[in-house]
Amino acid sequence: MNTISVRRKWEPYLWLLPSVLLMTVFVIFPILIVFKLSFSEISKAGVVGRFIGLENFRAAIADRAFAGVMLNTLYWVVSVVGISTLIGFIVAMTLNTRFRGRKIARSIVIFPWATSLVIQASIWNYIINFEYGNLNNVLLNLGFLKDAINWRASYQIEFIWECGVGIFVTVPFVTFCVLAGLQSIDDAYYEAATVDGAGFWKKLTLVTLPLVRPSLTVSTVLNIIYVFNSFPIIYTITKGAPANRTDTMVTYLYMLAFYDQRKGPATALSVIGFVLLCVVAGLYMMISMRKDEI
Amino acid sequence: MKAPTADKIRRRNVRALCLCLAALAALLALFTLPAYTFETALFTKKSGNTFVGDERYVQARAEVDEKAAAYAAHQPANTVAVAEEVTTRVNSKGETTSMVAFRVVLRQSKTAWDFIASGLSSGGLLLAALLCTASAMGLLFAGLPGTLSKTPLRLSRPRYLLRQASCVLALAALVCVGVFPLATTQMLERDLIARLGNPATPALEQLIGRAEAFLLGGMGGDQASELLAGVTYHSTVWLWLNLPALLLMLCGMIALGRESVTRTLSRGLLYLFVILLCVIILYPYYVMLITGFRSNAETTDMYFTNIFPTRWVWTNVPDIIHRGVVRFLGNSLLLSGGATLIALCCGIPAAYAMSRMRFRGKKTFLGFVIMSQMFAPIVLLVGISQLMNFLGLNDSILGLMLINAAFNQAFAIWLLRGTFVSISPEMEQAASIDGCSTVGALWRVLLPMAAPGIVTTLIFVFINSWNEYTISTVLISTPFKKPITVGITQFSSFNMIEWQYLFASALLATIPVVILFMFIEKQLVSGLTSGGVKG
Amino acid sequence: MKKVAALILAILITVSCIGFAAAEGDITLDVIICQYGNNTTNWFTGTGINGKSFVQLFEEANPGVKLNLEVVSWNDVYTEVSTRISNGNAPDILNIDTFADYATEGLLLPVKDYCPEALYNDFFPSFIAQSVIDDTVWAVPDLASARAMYYNTDIFTEVGIEVPTTWAELEDACLAIKDFYNGEVYPWGLDMTTDEGQAAFSYYAWNNNGGFVDDSGNWALNSDANVEAVKFAVGLYQNGYTNPRPATQTRYDLQDMFGAGKLAMVITTNQLPTYLKEKNYTVNFGTAALPHNEGAASGATGVMDRVMAFKDDAYPDQAARNEAIGKFLTFFYSPEMYTGWVSMEGFLPAVSSAVSFLVAADPSFEAWLSVLDSCKFYPTAKAEWIDVKQGVINVEQNALLGGDVKALLDELQAKVAK
Repeated sequence: MNTISVRRKWEPYLWLLPSVLLMTVFVIFPILIVFKLSFSEISKAGVVGRFIGLENFRAAIADRAFAGVMLNTLYWVVSVVGISTLIGFIVAMTLNTRFRGRKIARSIVIFPWATSLVIQASIWNYIINFEYGNLNNVLLNLGFLKDAINWRASYQIEFIWECGVGIFVTVPFVTFCVLAGLQSIDDAYYEAATVDGAGFWKKLTLVTLPLVRPSLTVSTVLNIIYVFNSFPIIYTITKGAPANRTDTMVTYLYMLAFYDQRKGPATALSVIGFVLLCVVAGLYMMISMRKDEI
Repeated sequence: MKAPTADKIRRRNVRALCLCLAALAALLALFTLPAYTFETALFTKKSGNTFVGDERYVQARAEVDEKAAAYAAHQPANTVAVAEEVTTRVNSKGETTSMVAFRVVLRQSKTAWDFIASGLSSGGLLLAALLCTASAMGLLFAGLPGTLSKTPLRLSRPRYLLRQASCVLALAALVCVGVFPLATTQMLERDLIARLGNPATPALEQLIGRAEAFLLGGMGGDQASELLAGVTYHSTVWLWLNLPALLLMLCGMIALGRESVTRTLSRGLLYLFVILLCVIILYPYYVMLITGFRSNAETTDMYFTNIFPTRWVWTNVPDIIHRGVVRFLGNSLLLSGGATLIALCCGIPAAYAMSRMRFRGKKTFLGFVIMSQMFAPIVLLVGISQLMNFLGLNDSILGLMLINAAFNQAFAIWLLRGTFVSISPEMEQAASIDGCSTVGALWRVLLPMAAPGIVTTLIFVFINSWNEYTISTVLISTPFKKPITVGITQFSSFNMIEWQYLFASALLATIPVVILFMFIEKQLVSGLTSGGVKG
Repeated sequence: MKKVAALILAILITVSCIGFAAAEGDITLDVIICQYGNNTTNWFTGTGINGKSFVQLFEEANPGVKLNLEVVSWNDVYTEVSTRISNGNAPDILNIDTFADYATEGLLLPVKDYCPEALYNDFFPSFIAQSVIDDTVWAVPDLASARAMYYNTDIFTEVGIEVPTTWAELEDACLAIKDFYNGEVYPWGLDMTTDEGQAAFSYYAWNNNGGFVDDSGNWALNSDANVEAVKFAVGLYQNGYTNPRPATQTRYDLQDMFGAGKLAMVITTNQLPTYLKEKNYTVNFGTAALPHNEGAASGATGVMDRVMAFKDDAYPDQAARNEAIGKFLTFFYSPEMYTGWVSMEGFLPAVSSAVSFLVAADPSFEAWLSVLDSCKFYPTAKAEWIDVKQGVINVEQNALLGGDVKALLDELQAKVAK
């Protein structure tokens, strides 16, 4: 790394100050408050009471729904992050080849990202409605269907839809991270590979993947965080019903806090989630960035 | 690549031509297969409290059979059928009840030729498709002789134009066949069935006449309207197979005299994939547009009568403006713009220090930055709200700006640092030697060079702030300070969701961001290139 | 360019700070109102009353009192209120459905502290009685709605059956309708959503001599009558008599289906006619009492929302504050405001002075008022109500998935009684 010689020892810290100040006050401070709350008794109305140790954590884990919700969260994060990374990669590869209208296609791919999640979720909720949804409308009127299909026949299917919407909104981000990586690859690598007689798959695995890996790592880490914390999709489409079967951790703790008015366990859950996320994202970064300088 | 030999080109062209001919043959064959199946309920009789074989049953059955025979006399064999359905139940008092339903049904399938012959408007599309295909093939053969025997590496100008014209014609045929089912549904549902009760116009009468001849074989008479109302119809797979056939023909034509068929096909697949992708992505926006301008009643139409609004209710836009949407949009712009500026003002110095200076605690700072991303704002609601209270920033857009800026610091620093690292420090050093201060060098030299990365950061922060919802809900209580994401919740109230307003505002809220994105797409990718990858 | 940007930033910040400053000398009341209908926001803060808003009119009539009134959707109101309470920033006046938590934790002002005598006497006594804990009235009713069974008369004529009054008849009717329409019409609407599943519990339990509490007022969620009631409701779903997704199809979905003629019977609020009219549905319908189990009394469900005032010990002049709250209530419940509001939302009034105005405008109100007399209300005055409400919804949704009703209710009872 290129470095300018620093005249005064404290100068770098001066440069960091605004950012540190901003984050400390508006992010770290609330985090500390949440940590404190997780060890306090909180009444139904929301009044914060005395210190009660780990009682909130015990109550949160003892709840019957907890195990199912954790499993859902796992499905949710793995499927949304995994599939959207795969699709995003394919889309980026496609958009990196030369064809007419590529500029337009690239602009269109950004759309889902540029639309608020609340709005996206409402639209999909409307689209997949059995009774009056637009998907049935379009398919019936185009002659693809005989009768309207109940797109939400069971909660498992509803959960799959929710994952689908999650993927839909996550793909653009991955696409653009990978696209950036692809564009930075020197054509010379491919030419060399062609001379060596490498086919499509060889080029993909030996040239493209290793060179795109840093951008994939970054997008995956950020996606794990964003997807884990994603809330509006599930809240709008099912609210976790029936009986927390479609809840992930974040929606569950929201329902716990503001519907069931059990804010103590809810805060404890958010701390658990934080720790989990730190471990998962940290491990992932350590494994995949071992060789790279951060 | 090696230059293809003449023989190779000739074989390639023959293959392409064969593909065209095969596609044509398939198309003609498909035209003689059923395109639509129609089912018309001619007569329905339900007989309650009736058991199979009893007196009421015999009586009803006789009546139904008589009707069926009368209808069958006018129709080709085996198209009129009597369906009988018996439902037996035991009710709560332990009695057994039974109901028998008889239906006389006319089942028939119609081929594409039938449609063309019927004189119905959608049949015209098929005719047009057929004519287009025929003339495309005609033009192809007109340009053929030289292409097969002689082997110029490139087509001569006139032949090239002929081939081009035939491609366009084949594409037109493709579009016609694609639009045909849509037109059929439109014609039958909107022009015919939905208007059967309306006062007759000449156009409607003509349509009824043609439909009756087409579907009922001319036996409708006075009952034509009634019977037509009971028509149900479904497209068959054969109809849809026309599309791939035409697509293959198109591929063959494109490949002719230019490149290998497999390459054309893979090219075609690429375009198909991109188009499919765009269609899927644009679909929700189409729904927004379509639903945003429907009337309130039509948004929840449970009979799926219309794919497009029967009447485009443009007044939905003034309605939502009247209910404050423009104001909310303004708030959102203010909020996102402010948050972006703050995030940049704090992020640029930090990123500069991270990229250009060596100091202790660098790693700690990075860990601190990443950790600050791990909590969703929604989880921190209570903490944030308490903090805002303490700072006296409750119910202010400034508070929201600061929160959004803070929550986007990590991303901003990460991106900016990457950008700065990728720019050589020599220029700044030169500037320093010329007497510039560090700040001056940053301002005049580094920032202009890092413009793409800065633009990228700007977009990210802007979008994230634009889309934020939960914190604004809790922090902002004055109606006129609400950002758009919160403002539109008024359209899904306790007793009614006003989908049309919700989607019209959603559309309005999406447009500014999409335009911003479109302008900046190129910057975005290059910014990510310099920022992310080398990070 | 950067300078321009900096300038803009400075301006933005100044503007938003100015917006935040309040006028001196006046008393400002923070008011949170729930969004009942699509006109609520406009009525309170827009141009809903002859081009003016409620806030404007109030401030004109009561100089010296300012309102910072926010209309919050039901989706977000609990989030907002409890966050604000946790921060010691409770609103002055709150309109919501529950009050027991706030009252038992000593956050509320007793009604007699701020409510003028004349207004207090105007409330229906039976309504006021629903907001009493320890002999103190903590909140005043703002409106009520009664639930009834609506049925599509055309469907009943066509199928040729009578409107059911008992559960057995209901099952027969459902079967007949299901057979007749071959599944194209859902016979019975069932709403067990996270939003309002507790209402479904009351529809069945109260019509089977069961309920949330026993005669002496203790929780009795796992009584045999309740188990039977939930089993019956879930049985309707399992037999295919109901809408396909009771756990996620809200009342609007059911009302839309009813309006479109796809649902034969539904239990919903007395606002249904207003809703149908607004969405241009032309369905013919009638109302009937909720079906009850053979041998059980028929019980109607009433739902009531409330207005309450929070304590603010830090405020220097408590008397002036109480007086301002009183002014707000007096103005809100004055016939000019209140009748307009109640009839706009299609609800039933909570004060007797409004009745004559409303009946004059729409005679059908009278029948509803008599229904209201016989209504049972949720035991919202009990502190565990929130747990019970969410608990029964959870039980219902688990039962829909095939859970054992008895075991689920036992578990809930044990949790609540503890």
